[in-house]
Amino acid sequence: MINISFTLNGEKRSASVPPETTLLKMLRESLNLTGAKLGCDVGDCGACTVIVDGKAVNSCLMLACQVEGRDVLTIEGLATPDHLHPIQEAFENSAALQCGFCGPGVILSAKALLDANPNPDVAEIRDALAGNLCRCTGYTKMISAVQTAACTLNGKPAEHSA
Amino acid sequence: MQAFKYFIATDARHAVALLAQHAPARLLAGGTDLLPELKASLHTSKTVIDISRVSDMHKIELSERGLSIGALVTHSEIMAAPVICDMFPALVSAAHSIGAVQTRNLGTLGGNLVTAVPSVDSGPTLIALDALVTIAGATGLRQMPLADFFIAPRKTALKPDELLVEVLIPKENLNKPAHFLKFGLRKGQALALVNAAASLWLDPKKNTCTAVRIALGAVAPTVIRAVSAEKFLEGRSATPKNFSEAARLAVEDTHPISDMRASAGYRKDLVAVLVKRALEAACAQAKAAQDNTGKRK
Repeated sequence: MINISFTLNGEKRSASVPPETTLLKMLRESLNLTGAKLGCDVGDCGACTVIVDGKAVNSCLMLACQVEGRDVLTIEGLATPDHLHPIQEAFENSAALQCGFCGPGVILSAKALLDANPNPDVAEIRDALAGNLCRCTGYTKMISAVQTAACTLNGKPAEHSA
Repeated sequence: MQAFKYFIATDARHAVALLAQHAPARLLAGGTDLLPELKASLHTSKTVIDISRVSDMHKIELSERGLSIGALVTHSEIMAAPVICDMFPALVSAAHSIGAVQTRNLGTLGGNLVTAVPSVDSGPTLIALDALVTIAGATGLRQMPLADFFIAPRKTALKPDELLVEVLIPKENLNKPAHFLKFGLRKGQALALVNAAASLWLDPKKNTCTAVRIALGAVAPTVIRAVSAEKFLEGRSATPKNFSEAARLAVEDTHPISDMRASAGYRKDLVAVLVKRALEAACAQAKAAQDNTGKRK
């Protein structure tokens, strides 16, 4: 077993897991955070996307021990019981998710994008979401939701509608 | 995933010592290839040496030797590095063509190269820039051209106790105009049907090409150079007709296979198109650089 200490959604956490445990497995099974989903388990679908030190990564492709001392943000760290994050709100208002399985990953990819680039164009949004596969809603409404969220986060009225 | 013993290397020397002690072991850098392999139990190795935090393989550095890129530099870091954006936009394109954001944030240049798959996207541009690789082993460092590092599909010149530590673009090729193109079935998350890179110097007075390099992926067991095309173009003027002829010759240098992604014939057609476009773009870059120099004077 390996002991790991890291920051998870703003709080210091620790866990003890066998070395072959992926970050995804630790989040879901040891820490009971099931927002990050197990999809393909090989880094193609993006359902397991989380943000580590500000960057979107596939949590199925990292060992849990690799986040020692690092900062991990999962979908559970975005909303409070009273308020959705502006990206989540935009996704809800645009009906950008149907089954929602890809949602946590897509929203975190969008967050990593908007944190680094507050005014992305459509091509940049598409590039940022290219690693997140959605099999039911499609991407048009997601792109529009990211544009809306960008406006909200920049304190501007939304220019785009779904 | 099957259980394994896990060691964390602190620097390249430590990684080499761990390799010597625990061979055969698998190295973990970005994990984008290794973890899927370990999950599929493709490897009998029961030891993983984590080099992702090795302190001395993360640098991008311009020096007397040229441009050194540490093996652990990620594709995203290549895309964001001002010195690479400035000198080698082709390397930025190549990095950008790999996987998607999440895998580019994890995946490393060294990791991509050691996969040695025929379609390896980091390969062609670096070979077109005569890049060298530095390898660390128990007896010290050795260096070889990247072109010789690829031996066969998924096979490199690395011995079981060795580690790729650095990629070096030699100083004579700093700022050498180069262009990379990849044709896949999609833009994101796709392997190349064919990828191609060209680099050349343009003689400003005679408009002739020198030091022409054309490197191609996914059309032979390893990344190859289109030598007959390079020879044809050497010293010839940079004209559409000559670029077309070079592209035609490049096709003859390739030996693609037919697989589920594309037929050999289709890949050959792609080679002709991509080589011509890469040469034109490298040439345009050379002219733009000359114009800029002219303006500065």
